[in-house]
Amino acid sequence: MTFLEIVEGPLWTLASSVFLIGAAWRIFGIIRLGRKKDISIPRASALLGAIKGQFLHFVPHGGFSFRTRYHLIAGYMFHLGLFGLLIYAAPHVLFLKENVVGFEWVALPRWGFILTAEIAFTGLILLWIRRISDPVMIQLSDADDHIGSWLTFLTMLTGCMALQESHDSLRAVHMLFVDIWLIYMPFSRLMHSVTFMFSRGYTGAFFGRRGVVP
Amino acid sequence: MKRIVFHRLFGVLCLTIMLGMGVMSGVAYAQQSGAVPGNTTGSVNDSEFWRSIRQGGQGLVSIPNKTAGIMIQSEGEEWRSLRNGPLSTYGGYLLALSLGAIVVFFLVRGRIKITGGRTGRAVPRFSQPERWIHWFVASLFILLGLSGLLLMFGRYVIQPIIGKSAWSAVASASLQGHNLLGPMFVVALLIMLGVYMKDNIWQKGDLTWALKGGFLSKGHPPSWKYNLGEKSWYWLLFFAGLAISTSGLLLDFPWLVERVQQLQLAHLVHAGAAVVLIAASLGHIYLGTIGVEGALDGMTYGYVDEKWAEEHHGWWAEEAMKTRGDVIEGAGETMPPEKAPAE
Repeated sequence: MTFLEIVEGPLWTLASSVFLIGAAWRIFGIIRLGRKKDISIPRASALLGAIKGQFLHFVPHGGFSFRTRYHLIAGYMFHLGLFGLLIYAAPHVLFLKENVVGFEWVALPRWGFILTAEIAFTGLILLWIRRISDPVMIQLSDADDHIGSWLTFLTMLTGCMALQESHDSLRAVHMLFVDIWLIYMPFSRLMHSVTFMFSRGYTGAFFGRRGVVP
Repeated sequence: MKRIVFHRLFGVLCLTIMLGMGVMSGVAYAQQSGAVPGNTTGSVNDSEFWRSIRQGGQGLVSIPNKTAGIMIQSEGEEWRSLRNGPLSTYGGYLLALSLGAIVVFFLVRGRIKITGGRTGRAVPRFSQPERWIHWFVASLFILLGLSGLLLMFGRYVIQPIIGKSAWSAVASASLQGHNLLGPMFVVALLIMLGVYMKDNIWQKGDLTWALKGGFLSKGHPPSWKYNLGEKSWYWLLFFAGLAISTSGLLLDFPWLVERVQQLQLAHLVHAGAAVVLIAASLGHIYLGTIGVEGALDGMTYGYVDEKWAEEHHGWWAEEAMKTRGDVIEGAGETMPPEKAPAE
């Protein structure tokens, strides 16, 4: 069995299983925490607040728009870019078809891939720079934040380095980083990619019940 | 007798016919192999035909890329000789010289410390946008520099160790990464050059700093926000950076040029300017990190110790404290313990 077959076969199965089970476990843990019984008379619907919260938090509160501009822009560049690459990069579409879903969809053309990758890289590097140069962020960041950033960066970089699709070894290195990334995710803050919906929902419901726009 | 004469005449006739056929067949062969099909270019023999190709003569092709009509591009050999010869050799010497100079400077001068230690009072030096763009360009510069050096020297340094097959993969990876990150660097570099230009324009007193010994001086000659050494680094980055960016874009988007010779020239400019810039950047990195105590604080925290400012950039510190009065009392306490003021 070649190295590529290992990382795309048994290691991929292991990594995706760890990710799925780990993510389910984290969500179960959040739900199991429950919430303190609220005995106040509801002024509005908590459910509506939870739904509103999902969308309202896509943009920062007006009072913070200037101070959050940098990481708002960088954050959107990175997350939308990464989403575009994950779902619409031609090699990913093929891989997901063959290994996960069984069907394919329209992939990005090569120039679209390059542009999306450059947007994602720009966003990620800008976010990392804020982490190492903002006095508050320096204090707030720990090893998990840095490992998560670097692992994501290396996963993306090795993917782009394999863009020519001329060497199996480059594809294998990229897949190795994908597997490590998936395994690391449930044990780190990278899980915010899944849990952000719960935190927004909770905050939205909490304030929504009090008739406040979250 | 008549019979003998007849036989001789018949023999001469046969010989004449055979020789004639032979010559004619030879002429026919020469015309078929030497002439260009259709006889449109006027070439009539092999030597002219191949000489035309060897000298870069362009034929007609039916595909959109008309440069494909050139079978042998002679300047390519000159480009290859320059790239694998003087450029790689002297480029390598320059990098080694830069590293050697840093080691010698460190051995002679040691780490330049803040005299009497930190005061704990800090002077703002770089704003957040200045730091953000600096680190963005620096990150890309390191990635592009490493991948570029691999492409330039890898075949001499890496290939003998890991073998041709593995080297092929490393080279392909380096090229793809280099091409992808390049355009981001160009945009970021232009922004950074604009952000930092104002304080890097030469001022009265810059030469005095250099004449008093600059970095080599035991004391600390006063300077503005940037001394002449730092300003020289900025202008080197300006000119070499723009040359690298322009040539890099041409290499990344080759359809922007009409002739392959322009790409070869762009490559030589790109690699040459990059080696010079990388060699100089080693000095910049050294002085900005381990070479000068307190220098890195400005680019990480945004402010520097008051004592450091007075020692290294006396005129700027005086002006900054006088006109803005923004020395931050106790700012040093927010720094990590190892950077806290001396007791």
